[in-house]
Amino acid sequence: MRETAMRSQKQSSSWLNIGKDFNTMTWVLMPVAIAINMAVGQIVATLRLPVYLDSIGTVLVGVICGPWAGALTGALANTILGLTINPDFLPWWPVAAIIGLVSGICANYGLFKSWWKVVVSGFIIALAAAISSVPISLLVYGGITAGGTGMITAFLVESGRGIVQAVFASSFLTEPVDKITTALLAFAILQGLSKRFLARLPRPENVETDEKISRNQLLIAVGVVVLLILFAIFLLGRLTGAA
Amino acid sequence: MHERLSFFVKRDSPIHRLNPMTKAVMALSLVLIAFLSPWYWTPLALFLFVILPLSLVARVAREYWNFILKVILPTLIILFIMQAFFLPGESRSIFEVFGLEITELSARLAFRNVMRILVMISSFTILLLTTHPSELMSDLSRRGLPGQFAYVVISSLQIIPQMQAKAQTIISAQRSRGLDTQSSFLRRVGGILPLVGPLVFGSLVEVEERAIAIEARGFTSTRPKTFLREIQDTSFDRALRWALIACVILTLILRIWLS
Amino acid sequence: MAIVNLQNVTYKYPLTDVPVLQNINLQVEEGEFVAVIGPNGAGKSTLCYTLAGFAPHFFKGELTGIVEVAGVESHNSILSEWVLNVGLAFQNPFNQISGAKYTVFEELAFGLENIGIPRDEMIARVEGAMKLTGISDLADRSPYSLSGGQQQRVALASILVMQPRVLVLDEPTSQMDPIGTREVFGVIHSMAESGMTVILVEHKMEWIAQFADRVIALKDGEILMNGDPSEVLTSPLLPSNGFGTSRYTSVARRAQELGLWNEGKLPITLDEAVRGFNSSLTKEEIPDARAK
Repeated sequence: MRETAMRSQKQSSSWLNIGKDFNTMTWVLMPVAIAINMAVGQIVATLRLPVYLDSIGTVLVGVICGPWAGALTGALANTILGLTINPDFLPWWPVAAIIGLVSGICANYGLFKSWWKVVVSGFIIALAAAISSVPISLLVYGGITAGGTGMITAFLVESGRGIVQAVFASSFLTEPVDKITTALLAFAILQGLSKRFLARLPRPENVETDEKISRNQLLIAVGVVVLLILFAIFLLGRLTGAA
Repeated sequence: MHERLSFFVKRDSPIHRLNPMTKAVMALSLVLIAFLSPWYWTPLALFLFVILPLSLVARVAREYWNFILKVILPTLIILFIMQAFFLPGESRSIFEVFGLEITELSARLAFRNVMRILVMISSFTILLLTTHPSELMSDLSRRGLPGQFAYVVISSLQIIPQMQAKAQTIISAQRSRGLDTQSSFLRRVGGILPLVGPLVFGSLVEVEERAIAIEARGFTSTRPKTFLREIQDTSFDRALRWALIACVILTLILRIWLS
Repeated sequence: MAIVNLQNVTYKYPLTDVPVLQNINLQVEEGEFVAVIGPNGAGKSTLCYTLAGFAPHFFKGELTGIVEVAGVESHNSILSEWVLNVGLAFQNPFNQISGAKYTVFEELAFGLENIGIPRDEMIARVEGAMKLTGISDLADRSPYSLSGGQQQRVALASILVMQPRVLVLDEPTSQMDPIGTREVFGVIHSMAESGMTVILVEHKMEWIAQFADRVIALKDGEILMNGDPSEVLTSPLLPSNGFGTSRYTSVARRAQELGLWNEGKLPITLDEAVRGFNSSLTKEEIPDARAK
């Protein structure tokens, strides 16, 4: 009896429960998140950092409101920003939706509760983003986009890879660093918000941390990111060298 | 700071008078046809014989070209060059520099890809130049899109310029404190949090009050909504929409049949 | 029967143990103008949220006792229906702009669209509310391009169009300059004149003294005093409990200590202060002036 009661409790907070994602706070948060995507992207571009961080608002909504709210935020963000600021965003709306969806699912499974788990989330989000961006890159741009990722693809093609393989490889090389940083930053922001504020949003339990966040964990997280970057560079060398 | 983020140019033209849904269907159909068509020259033909006349009929040609030449063309040129050099295509070489070559096939593919993207951007640009965002969202809500969607879209369009202005203020404030874009990599990484923090926290705190304010005005009301804007939907609009959808389906059939 | 009826209301926010409101008993008659005063943290805003249905419907938490407006009990209602009876406006005018509309006219119509008011009536109500709040000339402006005072009048008008039975105002002028304050109080005054029930939380005692029919002093979530403005605002309990007082009252109180004030009652408005000082400081009364 007790077990079924607990399970039904769990069912209601499951990520499949779409209705739970949307309350008035969610709807008001979504435009703010979309604007945060744009503003942070703009600041990062000004600082000439090798990341975009332009899905930070989407991840925030995914984690604290739920995967469906996150997916909708991502899709609308790319549509709205694509139609008004930079048309480059437009075709990537499915990728943005998947980023929101996957970050929500990760959070639902407790992967936004400590620094190292957030790194894992960031990696999973990156994989999902990379896989979903390949067909769009191929269909819309014929594989070679106008940005940094396109450069790497071009480089790989030049060194003898097939175009599909090159698109896959370049996506997998660029996404993890960006998405792990994004996830960590989103986590830092959520930690800085008051419990009172978070309680108004649909899924505050997703960021309830039981253990104290220690400095060591943060250092480990940063270490993992650095290792990943090194690994990516190594991989890039191998891929081009092998040709 | 511009007050709102909207391309909309208020003019009187046959395109302006079309129902917003018709224009949205038109934009989407053009994009789909450009990408699905089995014929190589379709995107170019759409651009020359549909998009350009549309921009003239809608009396927004000046604004349209202004946007395309200043914002879109530079990106498209870069895209074309990159694609022409790097898209794989074993055929006659037509240009070579530093061991990189443009072949006839890669140039052809690059041109088609660039034209497709031009059609995509152009058709949406014309939609936005001739349609007020409120009008579009109002019409979509009337057709059953939940009111919350209209809220998110319009609200985003108004918050984005405010946030852009705030981001600019923060960037210049940090710069005057010596955080330069030419500083070392680590300093710039360390610079993210103090830049992003105030922006994000400030805007998140406003969320709760705004939620209360719109709840106080029946945002979650379950009563059937009414609309201040009256939007025409003529039989011509309906016919045009069906014709466009038919064109897309036809293109899809041809695509499958011919391949 | 009173339109607003609170009985033994106690409320706790979620994640807290201390109640913010304790045993509140309050009845407000239809058409009455009630002012609520209190030091910071007295629970004034929470009282507003409770009256407007946001506690507990939006904030969750734990509410005991009876909250009844126009015969409906809060526990048995939902927020979107409750707000039809009780309108709420608060401090920050910027955050009260919906963001969903491009012009002031549309902004006012937003609530009416949500609750399904037919278009003709919608336009009539919006025009009426703009006239009452003096913003008719702003109809086509963007709500974001307005001054604070103008924005606050738009916020008030946006609630007014909903035609609530009770209007709850939480320090609507706290972020206004003197000009904005005067504009907003002008609007509040004309709303009260038109017979609307108004419950106003406010720090500015001079304004309360001018308009309120009754003043409630709130302290630590409990009602300390509830009565006539001239009694509550001049009570010696106010300064000793950390409340502000009207500057006319403070000056007269000081004068009383120095033996310069001989009137029985302390003043709360400029007029009363002038009259009082006039009779206290001039040896001879001016009977002929009074007679006129």
